[in-house]
Amino acid sequence: MPPLTRPPVAVPFPGSRPSRFARVFALLFGLTAAASWWAARVDLPTLFSREAFRNALVFVADGFPPALSPTFLFFLIRPALETVQISLLGTAVALVIGFPLGILATASLAHAGPLHELDLSGRPVRRLLRFMPYGLSRALLSLFRSVPELVWALVFVRATGLGPFPGVLAIGVAYGGILGKVYSEIFEAVDPRPLEALQATGASRWGVFWYGMVPQAFPHLVSYTLYRWECAIRASAILGFVGAGGIGQQIEISMRMFNFGEVVTLIGLLVLMVAGTDALSLRLRRRVL
Amino acid sequence: MYQAEGLTKVFPGEIRAVDGLDLKIGAGERVAFIGPSGAGKTTLFRLLNCTLKPTAGRLWVGGREVAHLHGAALRAARRRIGTIYQQHNLVPRLPVIHNVLAGRLGTWSTTRALLSLARPVEVEEAHRALQQVGIPEKLYARTDELSGGQQQRVAIARALLQDPDIILADEPVSSVDPTLAAGIVHLLTDISRATGKTLVVNLHSVDLALATFPRIIGLRDGRVLFDLAPAAVRDETLAALYRGAPATGPAEGALDAPLDPATSCRPLPRV
Repeated sequence: MPPLTRPPVAVPFPGSRPSRFARVFALLFGLTAAASWWAARVDLPTLFSREAFRNALVFVADGFPPALSPTFLFFLIRPALETVQISLLGTAVALVIGFPLGILATASLAHAGPLHELDLSGRPVRRLLRFMPYGLSRALLSLFRSVPELVWALVFVRATGLGPFPGVLAIGVAYGGILGKVYSEIFEAVDPRPLEALQATGASRWGVFWYGMVPQAFPHLVSYTLYRWECAIRASAILGFVGAGGIGQQIEISMRMFNFGEVVTLIGLLVLMVAGTDALSLRLRRRVL
Repeated sequence: MYQAEGLTKVFPGEIRAVDGLDLKIGAGERVAFIGPSGAGKTTLFRLLNCTLKPTAGRLWVGGREVAHLHGAALRAARRRIGTIYQQHNLVPRLPVIHNVLAGRLGTWSTTRALLSLARPVEVEEAHRALQQVGIPEKLYARTDELSGGQQQRVAIARALLQDPDIILADEPVSSVDPTLAAGIVHLLTDISRATGKTLVVNLHSVDLALATFPRIIGLRDGRVLFDLAPAAVRDETLAALYRGAPATGPAEGALDAPLDPATSCRPLPRV
């Protein structure tokens, strides 16, 4: 038997040492965390002191007994419904904004990776044309989600007046930015091999997207969107503080009148609603998985 | 149909998967590539089906140089090449029918493709293709519920629906049992013979390749080691091809003088 010639071509065996990037990153992360501890004036002794405990207890105790009179409970039906409406419509608007922008912001669909290796080779202008909508949509998504929904709400309250509508718009825009980014990440994470196979049949990028990407990403898309809906219920409560309707507006009014019993009832209602959406989305998720 | 001159593909990390390969395959030819794992067969196929860009060298498909194909012309070229992948590369969550109909995506408009997802069109054709590969009853099954061998046959049905001029089959029978493997390879060669389609396959099963294909190309380290008619392939030729290959590969089967069809068709380890 002659000695081994060249071994078969193969990817080199991966080393067990973390890469330089991982080590530098870990170091920076540790330093940043330490600096933040100091900068945020984390003060554990005060937090766990008896005095802090007593003050917090007094604040919470003010809310007991919660307001449970039938008139008040009956009165709550409208704002509760309003909150659900704001969150549902807001998530719908976010979907309409986030889905198309998320498609544009998916690098593996726009310009990068094996789907474009041959098509874009030696064509810098074409590559740039493909990159532009990608970069633009990423910038737009980033703008939408880096401005907090509370600020969006203030803007839209100015524009359209008090009420649920500015709340819908605020959630729609802010969550559209979040959904778009997460959608693009979900699309990029799908198994690329079926995509390559679809492209090899001569399919267009849309064909590859609808037949290869969407079916693979679908459960994750549904799951994350439902989670965002749950977040929207909570957010719409906060938005009420700036006059965007719903339960939040009631919390703000009751707080201003130092009626903490009502505040506790309202927060309890909010907890129930979030738990309700959670239960509902769990059922939906089971169906699509 | 194919012409390659000094075709080379280097992956990041200086991995030379295909290394200065010269090749000519005529229209309607039936060619089998054999060689040890890591010989560059799969990379060569990804070059041949216009997915990868060669690092160096030139490649022509149907008289047109691949490096000059872009956009619509590239899609048209791809449409004429049907690839059956080793790992099937089907979309797992889609029903079988859509994976089969995906073979039509090169000819369909986006609207038609989308409409078909809602309500499948050309069901007859998809059913016939599945009949040819022997699993017509799986038309509406979810693809990830099928066994490996059944999925491989779905991938072949997709290529049948695409109706290309060239069929590239990368280990088309790696996850089916030997009897079925022979059946599928014969199906492909019959189609090639009847329609004049060019057929290029990678086969782990050396005896199946020798028994079925008029032209055998031995690939090793990304280069052509031999290019012979099956009658001219000797045991020494095969020994040189598989020398030093891992014992778990097909090498031992190839080295044992009388080839046993039952053992030479071993399924590949899952990656």
